[in-house]
Amino acid sequence: MAALGTARCLFRTYSRVKNVQKSKQILVRCSVRTLCSGTQDNALLDRTKPQFTDPAVQDILTRITGLDLQKVFRPIKQELKPPTYKLMTDEQLAQAVELATEQAKKLLQMPPVLPERKPINDVLSEDKILDGMDTAKYVFTDITYNIPHRERFIVVREPNGTLRKAKWEERDRLIQVYFPKDGRKLSAPLIFKEENLKMVFSQDRHEDVLDLCLVQFEPDSSDYIRVHAATYEDLDKHGKYELLRSTRHFGGMAWYLLSARRVDGLIVDMLKKELLHDAVSLVSLFHMVHPHSESAQEAASQQATGADLLKIYAQKESQRAGYIELALQAYQQMAAKSSAA
Amino acid sequence: MVHLSSLLLKKYHGGYVVIRLALAGHKQANRPFYRIVAAYNKRARDGKYIEQLGSYDPLPNIYNEKLVSFNFDRIKYWIGCGAHPTKPVAKLLGLAGFFPLHPMMITEAERRRALTELTATGAEDGLQEGQNVA
Repeated sequence: MAALGTARCLFRTYSRVKNVQKSKQILVRCSVRTLCSGTQDNALLDRTKPQFTDPAVQDILTRITGLDLQKVFRPIKQELKPPTYKLMTDEQLAQAVELATEQAKKLLQMPPVLPERKPINDVLSEDKILDGMDTAKYVFTDITYNIPHRERFIVVREPNGTLRKAKWEERDRLIQVYFPKDGRKLSAPLIFKEENLKMVFSQDRHEDVLDLCLVQFEPDSSDYIRVHAATYEDLDKHGKYELLRSTRHFGGMAWYLLSARRVDGLIVDMLKKELLHDAVSLVSLFHMVHPHSESAQEAASQQATGADLLKIYAQKESQRAGYIELALQAYQQMAAKSSAA
Repeated sequence: MVHLSSLLLKKYHGGYVVIRLALAGHKQANRPFYRIVAAYNKRARDGKYIEQLGSYDPLPNIYNEKLVSFNFDRIKYWIGCGAHPTKPVAKLLGLAGFFPLHPMMITEAERRRALTELTATGAEDGLQEGQNVA
């Protein structure tokens, strides 16, 4: 009896399976949605000028960021734990310092600098028959777990019947709704408005603003780029490069100033702090990024190194040539005195 | 080889699997929120389901959007196992573009448009009458 029943079920399911396969094919044809990839433009740009992600560029930027252990591991707001004391020999202390430098290097990883993302304006279908079906839009998100967030399907059905892809801001908001990330809010915190940014800068808290911005926005969103640009401009205006010196944002700031060709303030600051090597590497990076400028061609022809590079740059490119030459002279006097004494 | 899952489903329950909307958070009055769910046909609407495949929030938010989420991978699996979607789920999937448009959606849109036209002409008539009286 049971065997008969099973056999009957098998028969029925077989026929259903055949129909299901046919309907599956129809479904596969219906769900036609491909996201266009805008990576081809980036590939073209990469070949012409050195980009932020080049290993040589990254190397120089990490060197000028510096590695001040005291500042990297300074106390941040954490849960209160009683401190642990360990008794170590000198060797063990050296090993612990090495481990600490490794961790500091990981903490100092630079956040990516990407060009601003282009807005999405794709319309998938225009159904005039659905016009006036509802007063609100319908937003459909695909919550399959194993797809990267960039490739998720998020579409919007407007009340007039058009089915379009969601814009970048809607995408960010919905991905935060369904896959919440630590520290990110659904609507941007009020600190990122212009007036509030000015107040925060007057309190010298650029680093906190940049950390918040990194958590809240995607690296290629317009808000991220706007906040970063405002921060770097303010730092440049007041010459407060020391605030970012041993943090992960220093490389980004250096890159922004290089692209805008306003590295004078930074070089002066470095010379005042007697970091000649950093200044030299910064100028060489400038020549790498802008190979057609006068100072780059001059330096290439003379094969200059060290302080000569700085002199060439001071003569050719900078607006504050006097400052840089004065600072160079002062540094050389200091070096001479210290070597004599 | 016959797909074993549909066979097992049939034998186990004598019913079939549906993909339908189940009301969630039933202790809150006047705030509906639906889960899109694969469940057996004969189970209670809000009772034990096999798997949750998404959500639907019928009340629009501050941006005037109704949020719907679908786990398309699993929906494809369940439809492959022989699950039947109900009318509202079929409508939502049609709006999303996954299914073809449901004929009732089109009828509803037409009816709404007729209604708005009626009210518009009704308002005009009312205005005219008001002007005539005054």
